[in-house]
Amino acid sequence: MISPELKKVILKQLNLDDFDFNDNTIAPDVPGWDSLNHINIILAVEENFKVKFKSMELLRLKKVNDLQELLDSKLGK
Amino acid sequence: MTQFNFNIDEAPTLWKRWKLNSERYPNKDAIVHWMAGEEPYRWTYKNLVGKAEKYSAKLKEIGVKPGDICANIIRHNPEFYPIYFGISRIGAIPAVLAFPNPRLHPDKFRQGIEGMSQRSGLDYILTERELEPLIRPLIEKPGSTIKAVYFPLEWDLSSDIDPEINDEIEKNASSIKNTDPGLLQHSSGTTGLQKPVVLSHRAIMNHVYQLGKAMKLNDKDKVVSWLPLYHDLGLIGSYHIPLACGNTLIQIDPFQWVLAPVLLLDVITKEKATVSFTPNFAYNIMAEKIDEEELAGIDLSSMRTIINAAEPIRHDSHEKFANKFKKYGFNPLALTVLYGMAETTLGVTLTEPGKPITELSVDRNELSKGVVKFPDDNSVVRICVSSGKLVEGGEARIVDENRNDIPDGLVGEVAVKSISMFDGYRNYPEKTAEVFVDGWFYSGDYGFRYKDEFFIIGRKKDIIIVAGKNIYPEDIEDALNQAEGIIPGRVIAFGEEDAEMGTEFVSVVAETKAETEEDKNKVRMSILKAGMNIDVIIHKVYLVPSRWLIKSSAGKPSRKANKERLTTETDTQVWSR
Repeated sequence: MISPELKKVILKQLNLDDFDFNDNTIAPDVPGWDSLNHINIILAVEENFKVKFKSMELLRLKKVNDLQELLDSKLGK
Repeated sequence: MTQFNFNIDEAPTLWKRWKLNSERYPNKDAIVHWMAGEEPYRWTYKNLVGKAEKYSAKLKEIGVKPGDICANIIRHNPEFYPIYFGISRIGAIPAVLAFPNPRLHPDKFRQGIEGMSQRSGLDYILTERELEPLIRPLIEKPGSTIKAVYFPLEWDLSSDIDPEINDEIEKNASSIKNTDPGLLQHSSGTTGLQKPVVLSHRAIMNHVYQLGKAMKLNDKDKVVSWLPLYHDLGLIGSYHIPLACGNTLIQIDPFQWVLAPVLLLDVITKEKATVSFTPNFAYNIMAEKIDEEELAGIDLSSMRTIINAAEPIRHDSHEKFANKFKKYGFNPLALTVLYGMAETTLGVTLTEPGKPITELSVDRNELSKGVVKFPDDNSVVRICVSSGKLVEGGEARIVDENRNDIPDGLVGEVAVKSISMFDGYRNYPEKTAEVFVDGWFYSGDYGFRYKDEFFIIGRKKDIIIVAGKNIYPEDIEDALNQAEGIIPGRVIAFGEEDAEMGTEFVSVVAETKAETEEDKNKVRMSILKAGMNIDVIIHKVYLVPSRWLIKSSAGKPSRKANKERLTTETDTQVWSR
C-alpha cells in the first residue's frame, strides 16, 4: 500500500483531491498520469523525499506500489 | 565515407531494395533492436531478409494474398521487422497500428479498429495473443472485412522453406510494380477520424531518394529512433529511409524511452549514432528532465543531424537542448527542422544539415492578423523558426481561403505538390476531393515564405498536437458528451501551449448546471475519466454556466472564439482547474 506521504505528492502533481490507490493500481488507472506527467511525478517524488532514482530502476516499475517499494529501499526502510 | 548514392531504378520496390541490400551488405547491421539493460538484438541485412522469407512463406500458407492489408499490432519485438518485410514480399500491404494503452477502454479500441476496417479494409490482423479477446469478436461481426487474426510471434519457423514455394514467392515479388501500394499509414486521429494514406512503392522510393539526399545521408550514417512505427516520422524517417539506403537503424522501445529519456542519449553514445528524428517536446524533456548524474559518460559528438518535426518548432526548445548538451559534445549545428505530412510520404521542407537554422523575430500581433512584419520598439515579439527550403521533387504555395496564391510576407495555407504524393485516402473519395485538387494537397497548416524558406506557424484545422501525436477535438468532444454533469453538446476541446514541456496540452470547456465546488469537482472528474477512456489526458477543465459558450454561425460552440475568450478574459462565471 502506498504511504500517505507518497500519495500526497502524486495527488498534488496530478492536481487531484483524492484517488483510491490499491496494491494493483497502475499509472494508466489514475486520471492525468500519462507519460509526460510521469516524468514530473518522478521528479516531484525525488525532490520531496531527497532521493535519486536511476533510469533502469524506473523502467522496472510496473505498478504504483513498485514505486513505493523503490522509494522505501532508497530511504532505508 | 561514401556520399549519398541511391539509384531508384536498380531496385524500385521495397522488397527488391531490401534484397539488394542483403546482397550488398550481408553482414552489416540493418536493425539494432534495443532493450534497456539487455544485449541488443542485431539483425544483419542477410539475416533479416532470410527471416522475412520464412515469414512470407507462412503468410502465403495461411492465405494472405497480394493487395491484402495486414495490420501489425505488435509491441517492441525483434520479430516485428521480418514480419513487416515478409508482408511486403508477398505483395500484401503492411499497416502498423498502435498497441492499445491499458487506459484505453476496450470498447473504444474495438470501435477504432472497426472504423479503420470499414475505411481501410483491413484484411488480417497480426498481433499478440493478449489482444485475442478484444479482436476476435470483430472478425465474427457481420460485414467485417477482417478475415482472420494471427499471432506470428508464436509461429514455429525453424524448418527450411520449400525451395519451390520460395522461388514462386520470389518470382511473384519481382513482378510487383512500383505503382502498386507499398504501405498504408493512418494520418492522424484517435477513433473514427483516421485517414488511411496509401503510398505506392514509387512514392516511398522517390521520397527515400529526395529526403536522403537533402539529409546528406552517407553510408556510415546510423539512425537512432525511439519513435513508434505507427507514426509517419518513425515509419518513414527512421525506418524506411535507412533500411532502403543500406544504413543501420537502432530502434529503442518507445515505452522505455518515455520512462527513461536518457536512453536515447545513452544509445547515441554507445552506438555512435549520427541521425535522429524527434518531435519538439523531446528536446525540452531531454534538456530539463534528466538528472545530471545520469549524464555521466554521455558523448553526443557523433550526432550529425537531429531532425525536429511532427509538431510546431519552438525556438526555446532548441536553445535549451543546445545549451545543455554542448558540454557533452553536441554540435548545435546538428539541429535540423523538417516540415512534412503523411500525404507526401513525409518531408516537404528541410533546413540544411550542418547549417544554422534561420529564425525570424516578427511582430506577434501583426502575425496573428496574417502579416509578417519585423518588430519595432512597441512590438511583442514572436520568434519563428524556419522549416527550411523545399526538398527536391516538391513544390509549395502559400494560398488564401479561396486557394489563390498570396505574396511572400503574408500568412496563408500551405499547399504542396510532390513526386512522392499519396494516392488518395483509401475508400474515402469525398475526403480526398476536399484536400487534393489538381495535384495540389491543401495541408491545413498555416505559414509563410521568406527568402525561399518556409515558416509554419499554426493550423487551419483545430487539431491538437500533444508530444507529436495529433488529436482531433471532435474525438474528445464525442467522448465527453456522455460525461456526467455536463450539458450534452455543450463542450469544446482545444489545445493550449505548454511552454514547460515544449508542446500543447488538452483543455476542455463544458457547460454545466453544477453550482457547488463539490459538484464542479465531480463534473471535472467525470470529464477526466471520459478522456481516459479514449486514451486522452485532459490537463485543464473549464466549467461555465448554461448558454455561456459562444456559438459559430453553424450553431455549434466555436472552438476558436471560446478558447480566445477563456485565455484572454477574466470572467467570474468561469471555474477552472
